[in-house]
Amino acid sequence: MANINENYEEDERESCSANGQKVKKKNIIRHILLAIFSFIMAFPFLWMVVSALKTKDEIFITPLKFFPAVPQWKNFIDAWNSTPFGLYIFNSAFTSLVIVAIQVINSAMIAYAITQLKFKGKKILFGIVMGTYMLPAAATYLPSYVILSKLNLIDTLIGIIISNAVSVFGIFLIRQAFLQIKKEMIEAAMIDGASHWKILWQIMFPLTKSSFTTFALISFVSNYNNYLWPSLIIKDPNKYLITIGLRQFFIQQGAYGIKWPQVMAASTFTILPLLILFFIAQKWFMSGIADSGVKG
Amino acid sequence: MEGHVYVEMKLKFLNTRRKESIIAILFVTPALIPLVVFWIWPMIYSFYISFTNWDLMSPKYDMVGFKNYLSLLHNQEFYKAIFNTLYFTVGTVIPTIIGGLILALLLNKKMKGIGIYRTILFSPWITPTVAVSIVWSWIFEPRAGIANWILTLIHLTPLPWTESERYAMPAVIIVTIWKSIGWAMIFYLEALQRVPKELTEAAKIDGAGRFNCFRNITIPMISPTTFFLVIMTGINSLQAYDQIQVLTQGGPAGSTRTILYMYYQSAFQNFNAGEAAALATVLVIITAILSLIEFIVSKYWVHY
Repeated sequence: MANINENYEEDERESCSANGQKVKKKNIIRHILLAIFSFIMAFPFLWMVVSALKTKDEIFITPLKFFPAVPQWKNFIDAWNSTPFGLYIFNSAFTSLVIVAIQVINSAMIAYAITQLKFKGKKILFGIVMGTYMLPAAATYLPSYVILSKLNLIDTLIGIIISNAVSVFGIFLIRQAFLQIKKEMIEAAMIDGASHWKILWQIMFPLTKSSFTTFALISFVSNYNNYLWPSLIIKDPNKYLITIGLRQFFIQQGAYGIKWPQVMAASTFTILPLLILFFIAQKWFMSGIADSGVKG
Repeated sequence: MEGHVYVEMKLKFLNTRRKESIIAILFVTPALIPLVVFWIWPMIYSFYISFTNWDLMSPKYDMVGFKNYLSLLHNQEFYKAIFNTLYFTVGTVIPTIIGGLILALLLNKKMKGIGIYRTILFSPWITPTVAVSIVWSWIFEPRAGIANWILTLIHLTPLPWTESERYAMPAVIIVTIWKSIGWAMIFYLEALQRVPKELTEAAKIDGAGRFNCFRNITIPMISPTTFFLVIMTGINSLQAYDQIQVLTQGGPAGSTRTILYMYYQSAFQNFNAGEAAALATVLVIITAILSLIEFIVSKYWVHY
């Protein structure tokens, strides 16, 4: 597993650069440039929070003022109370967690079969899995909608869960991790008479925990962020996911001249939990992303 | 005697093989069922629907052959969607890759605080596109948005952004670049780490300047990553939906309607399942060609 973080601090990695005294001066320029770019990238988030704290008049004032005279924390309370965002966040977090749990289990199992077991049609199976990796998910939405409606699962959270019950990315990532495990460790367990189920969960899983963590986090975030597919199948406001709820809130506020501060406050509720999760667990996110590019 | 042992071994071998096959089926099924039901079967089914005139509601429909495909070929909207898709794809891919490389080069240095920069630069990627697109629609707001305020500040004319046919697509493109640039950066960081130091050192000893060293060593060494990123960002751009839905809904006057957005509209707004499925086929074919190129090229082009 490529571990960007660890390698970072250890070696002098810059390639085509001058050595010696120039370096210090260059570092300052580098810091300045990075600070500017970071500011630009973070700006929409900062602007979102600042706008959420303004009054209705302040937001449209010309010339534009960056900061509100008095931060209107009330806007957050108003937005939170006007629409059941708590429920939407719960719906999103709940479905995403269930999806992650299912994907972790079935990805691990199929990756185990592909890497450890001998059976007929293994190559074809792997080819099919690989073939679906690149396919545009959206192209399946129309027929998947028909299938879900035949199963009577339109407008249910279960419908979202079962239609997302497999992750080809997960199968790839876990398979890759399993290929790195030394054969002797598995053979030793085999000789001890351990079952395949035991080998998978008691030997291979602990050895590849970091890949599982990465996968679980990325899958959670992409399900939490998912919008198009859930918006097609969920119509009942009590079952809205946060992405659907936020967009509906945005449209409703727009009906009477957009209440931007409230909309920005609601966007903050939606984005902030993810940013916090990312800042805590960023190492896993980034190593997994780089890994998915290095194909085995 | 020997034969007997052989038969016994063979029997045992056959037994474990059969047992292994059963176990394999058990291990494969939990992933295979959803894969078949929600990926493979829908793909086949979609291809079938593309030859019908189904309206998604009525139980009856007719087979119409290639009519859906032919009518697409006579539809101006379709060509416009292809043009928009191309515009959007090229417009996002090139800046994302160049920007990602520049950021990676800046970060590719042992320096205090580098981790913080990296985290911030990457953070847009993990946020929900719907939510950040709402934030961006406020930034682009023509009357009170900060984008126009900045333009006025540097003495440029304020733009109508998402309200005009001309500037709606650039607005969608800017949001998409902002969101994916950190992703490209991570790949380049990894690639830059894999450039052997001996090579750049040798170049330095030979007296190659900074720029020459970069052009003749770093760029070729990371070119497989560049290629991979071109294809992947291209495929991602083909599938972009959320930002278009929030910012422009394909408008004004269809100026941001991509193939995918047209697919969404014909399937779920106009209930023209046949046309939508034909569009899905077009989308699948373009994606398949792109990934096939990636697959073949990466086989012969070693990743360093």
